[in-house]
Amino acid sequence: MQFDWMQIPYSLLTLFIVLNYGMLLNALIAKIAARVGRRHGIPIWQNYADLLKNYGIRSSITHGVMFYLGPVFRLAGGVGLLLFVPTIFGSEMFSNLSFAGDLILALYFVFFGTLGMALGAGESGHPHAAIGVSRGLSQVTTAELPFALAVFAVALQYQTLSVTDIVAAQQGGFLNWTLFTNPFAVAAAMLGFLGSMMRPPFDVVLAPQEIPIGPPTEYHSSYLALMQTNRMIFPIAKIVVYMNLFFGGAASWPVFFIKVFFIYMVSVLVGVVFPRFHVEQSVRWFLVWAVPFGIIAVLMV
Amino acid sequence: MVSALSFIALPLGTAFTLGLLPQGMQRVNYLLTLLALALLSLIAASWLLAFAAGEIATQQIFTAGTTPPFSINLQIGMAEAAGLLLLNLTGLLSVIYLRDTLHQQGARAMAVLLIFIMALSGIVLTRDLFNLFVFIELTTIATGGLILLSHDKRALGAGFKYLVATQIISITLLIGTIFLYHDSGTLNIDGMAAGGLITGESLALFLVLIALILELKPFPANGWALDIYESAHPAFSAILSAAAATAALFAVDRLLLVGSNSWLPLATAVGVVSFVGANLLALVQRNDRRILGYSSIAQMGLLLVVVGQRDILGESYLFIAGGILLAHAIAKAGLFWLSGIIVARDLSDWRALQRNPLYIFAFATFIAMLVGLPPFPGFYAKWDLVHLLAAHDRIALLLALLFASLLEALFLFRWFGYVIKGEANPEGIICARNKLGVIAAATVAAWGVAYLWGEMALQGNLLYSIPLLAALAFLLLEWLAVPYKNVLAISVLLGWFVVNYADYNPLQLIFAVIILVGGPLILLSSFYARGRRIGFYPATMLMFAGMAQLIVAKSSFDFFAAWEILTIGSYYLILRGKASEPHAISYIIFSLGGAFLMLTGFALAAAGDLNFLLSNLSEVAPAVAPWVFLLLAIGFMTKTAAIGVHIWLPGAHAEAESDVSPMLSGILLKAGLFGLMVLMLEMGRQSLYGVDLTHVMLWIGALSALLGNLMAAFQEDAKRLLAYSSIAQLGYALFGLALMNHLGWLLALMFVINHFIYKSMLFLSVGGVAKRTGTRLMYRMGGLITLMPLSFIAVLIGIIAVSGVPPLSGFGGRWIFYNAIMTAEYRLPLIIIFLAGPIAFLYLFRLIHTIFLGQLKDEHRQLREAPFWMILPQMIFVACLMVFALVPGLALKRVDHYLLQYFPEGGLSWDGLTITSHFGYWSPISIMVIVGVIFMTLFAWLLFVNRRAQKVKQFNIVFAAERPFRPETTHFAWNFFAPYRKALGFLTEPLVTRFWDAIGEALHSLAELLRRFYNGNGQTYSVHLLAFVVITFLLARGVS
Repeated sequence: MQFDWMQIPYSLLTLFIVLNYGMLLNALIAKIAARVGRRHGIPIWQNYADLLKNYGIRSSITHGVMFYLGPVFRLAGGVGLLLFVPTIFGSEMFSNLSFAGDLILALYFVFFGTLGMALGAGESGHPHAAIGVSRGLSQVTTAELPFALAVFAVALQYQTLSVTDIVAAQQGGFLNWTLFTNPFAVAAAMLGFLGSMMRPPFDVVLAPQEIPIGPPTEYHSSYLALMQTNRMIFPIAKIVVYMNLFFGGAASWPVFFIKVFFIYMVSVLVGVVFPRFHVEQSVRWFLVWAVPFGIIAVLMV
Repeated sequence: MVSALSFIALPLGTAFTLGLLPQGMQRVNYLLTLLALALLSLIAASWLLAFAAGEIATQQIFTAGTTPPFSINLQIGMAEAAGLLLLNLTGLLSVIYLRDTLHQQGARAMAVLLIFIMALSGIVLTRDLFNLFVFIELTTIATGGLILLSHDKRALGAGFKYLVATQIISITLLIGTIFLYHDSGTLNIDGMAAGGLITGESLALFLVLIALILELKPFPANGWALDIYESAHPAFSAILSAAAATAALFAVDRLLLVGSNSWLPLATAVGVVSFVGANLLALVQRNDRRILGYSSIAQMGLLLVVVGQRDILGESYLFIAGGILLAHAIAKAGLFWLSGIIVARDLSDWRALQRNPLYIFAFATFIAMLVGLPPFPGFYAKWDLVHLLAAHDRIALLLALLFASLLEALFLFRWFGYVIKGEANPEGIICARNKLGVIAAATVAAWGVAYLWGEMALQGNLLYSIPLLAALAFLLLEWLAVPYKNVLAISVLLGWFVVNYADYNPLQLIFAVIILVGGPLILLSSFYARGRRIGFYPATMLMFAGMAQLIVAKSSFDFFAAWEILTIGSYYLILRGKASEPHAISYIIFSLGGAFLMLTGFALAAAGDLNFLLSNLSEVAPAVAPWVFLLLAIGFMTKTAAIGVHIWLPGAHAEAESDVSPMLSGILLKAGLFGLMVLMLEMGRQSLYGVDLTHVMLWIGALSALLGNLMAAFQEDAKRLLAYSSIAQLGYALFGLALMNHLGWLLALMFVINHFIYKSMLFLSVGGVAKRTGTRLMYRMGGLITLMPLSFIAVLIGIIAVSGVPPLSGFGGRWIFYNAIMTAEYRLPLIIIFLAGPIAFLYLFRLIHTIFLGQLKDEHRQLREAPFWMILPQMIFVACLMVFALVPGLALKRVDHYLLQYFPEGGLSWDGLTITSHFGYWSPISIMVIVGVIFMTLFAWLLFVNRRAQKVKQFNIVFAAERPFRPETTHFAWNFFAPYRKALGFLTEPLVTRFWDAIGEALHSLAELLRRFYNGNGQTYSVHLLAFVVITFLLARGVS
């Protein structure tokens, strides 16, 4: 795959589409979750309003350089992840900037934003931020494991690390999706997926409902806006990876929207039903319930 | 040549003359004694030189003008001449040492001393059994007198026990002699051997032999001798240990001729029991002279083994026996003499030596000599001995010897550690010029014989190696100030690199750059040190010399010698840390244990070839090949601190000085990896009982990665955290090698380079911070980012690189890793390593957060950035990391091609900007550009929308409507991953530490139990002697 200058505007277009889709999708999902709880929920354009409001807030403080850079890291991580993975299969232009690296790049770039934001939050000096990071890192160690095993199984199955090639191998009917050709890998990956979506039962990291805790505690105004922007992009960027690896990718934008929605809904369905885990409980849960699927997947390929 | 009879006549004559001189002429008496011994030493030296030059052959001297059996004959050959020189020189030096005591005691003491030396010379020379008995009686009587030279009140009791014991021995000897004479009709030993009338079954022969062996004071029938060592004057103990034991050994060696070698196994058995037992008992001793006594007995045991194995040692017999004997004699005499200038008797009282580096040098020399480290004779001798034992399948014996050597190293190095560390008592030492001179002479002699043995060694003289000489030269430069020595050290390393650059192959080149260019880079930080920093440069250069030699070694001998040299150097370096004494001992024991396994492995592989080439490892017989592989691999893995043998590392790295930790972690550990590479390239895959050993290594690598990371996450001490992280990183590298495919090896090399850069950098940063804050505990720091921004940048770049997050070089490692495992044969260990990966984030975040982020403590508000000289190398490392991240091909391309000859499948393609494997692709520069552009764009956007942001004070945080109390309680740092510990803490149970502790505990308890055997009662000791004779006989000849 070679670089072409035309890829840049197309990548920006991808970014634009995903951002807007993310805004709407996140609001929709918040609404769905609210309805399950017999609440009315937010309007569908709420995220736009929040974002504009946060960018518009004039008072803002900083705790230092790293604090300042934290949200930049965070959003750069989300945007980078999105752009390093091809979005639409078969489209040279919507394969974005994936010429820079393969699946492994995407896997590791996930941590770029997380790490940067954790550092920024750390400089705020707020203990709650550090506690959130401690919880998040603890949880991610085992939540990522089933996913990593699944990725390895898939790479072995298709004998390639290139995302495009993996999607190509799943074409020709939904029975060719990894979901059906390698169900154990997908089971492991989807259980791991639950842990990375910041939804119950694995949302103690942010604990959004009660007290201000978690890495964003000290962030406000445009910092928070940057992080919110990331919250719109990042889950979708991650789901794109899942979609490409396990669910046959998407050959067009409508298919993309549908698949992303349903994959997202997996975590929502689980989230609205189950209460929250302690960190140590979720660490154990992934090891006991998700990892064995991953192991089977790796051994059976 | 002066007649050999003068060794008898001259001292005897002088002793009589002393008696005839009027009393009160102490000075004349003393001069006469000195003169006699000096003359005797000269005569012995002239004999030795003549033999060495090949001018004369072995000479027989017949007394009374007739031949045996009617006369007594003496024989002098090369060995006897060397023995005589040793005896008389020891005597001479001891007399110089004893100047004041002898002046006090008068002519009689001097006469007795002369008689003692004369009798010992007689034992060495005589070939007549009864004559031997007479000389032994003379030594006994003389010993009885000389014990009284000591001021120690216990000496009298010890002397009495000694007399009782030696009478039993004499009686045994005499009875045996009578019956031997009866059987053979001659008292001449050669006559008995040649006559063939004495068979191996002869009880009489056994009695004579066991009596002579008892003269060597074998374990456990030696309580009487230990009391002598402990209470006698140290100068006399020196003679007793160095000279008397030597003479007895000559006698045993001679008598074993009779009965056609049938008693050799007895000598071996008694020897090995003594060697193991005495070293074991020495573990629990605190009295310096008693420990030296045990060590003497142990060395005699070892020599007895050598004598017992002479049937297989062939031409090397004298070389081996001589090497061990000389090493023992010089070192032991030297240590006894040193003990004479120490006032009190506990091992820690030797700290008084600290005040003079020359004493420490002498002490270190003697200890290295006793342990058999290069370049001393014991090293060459042990090498040959082990090889010949292995070649004749005497593996059990070999392992017993090595185990006991390890015990010996343990108590000697522990002692050295006590001496170097801790507060010295300034009045704990007596200085006298004559004593100093004697100790200096012993030290010179030690290095002299080191040179001599090197000259005689088949494998070449280690003292000719330029790196080693350069390192030793730094000993002479100790008077210089740090900056000069540092410049010199850096230039030497770089110079050596430039000179040898062309000769390295790509694999060696990577290691050479790390050692010889990376070393100087870290040494830049040493400019920070003030004063003369005595001991630092010789140790550092010794380590680098070993490393530099290691990577170019062609034969197993060179490799092993280099390994030992780098081990010694790094041991001294580790020992320099403030609280590093227990860790240094743990390091040296694991290293030597590993080295002994390597030695066994090399010996098995060599099958008797004393100069075995490493390239022949590929042709080792299939029956032993897996064992060779196993032993060598374990040896190397002790250095890479693989899980199971890792417990030395955390303490050693954490407690070392700030500029030493990066050298240890960044450079030293790579020696083990290099060894593994050599091993696996030559030997390939090996299976033992159907188990693929590389598969086992995969598991070890994976477990090291997992447990290293987990342990790192739970550390409060920043340097310990980094140390555990090193265990994990080396686990990854080991894992890569064990994959045994092209990319696996590339992965390992990538880790070698990366780990060197970032771990050196991180250790330096943390070292700098620790220097400023005065603590290594992370929870006591916090918020240092604004005060130490450069250190923060180094740590930030370091942790991004370690974590493998793009765009820095750690990602390259991860990418190669995934490509390498695509063709892995075993998948289960992969799961462990997958689990290990994200745990790295835990400790990395903790490292940077708890030190640099969070709440600044009040006592740190005035801190400055770390010293310039510590920051400079860090910034260079940052630059290196960036360059390596952008163009990894600079370092890896050549190696990639080089590896094709070993692993033709799976190389990378390096066309253009993108690196392509069979499975995927990766374009470092594109990634860097893309990430950079996105980041800068967003940053610019934030700057634009957030241009009015105000900097606020530390406590200006949203704190649930309360005001934070103080930084200490607001900084969330201690036990940072408490929930994680709850979930997975059980994996960090220190099982391995407990295992090794239990072994150590068991050995010490056993020693404690055995020492009750020595109850100080003369009667009990007599019973021991008799029981020893009876039991030995029963065991030797069966109970039937």
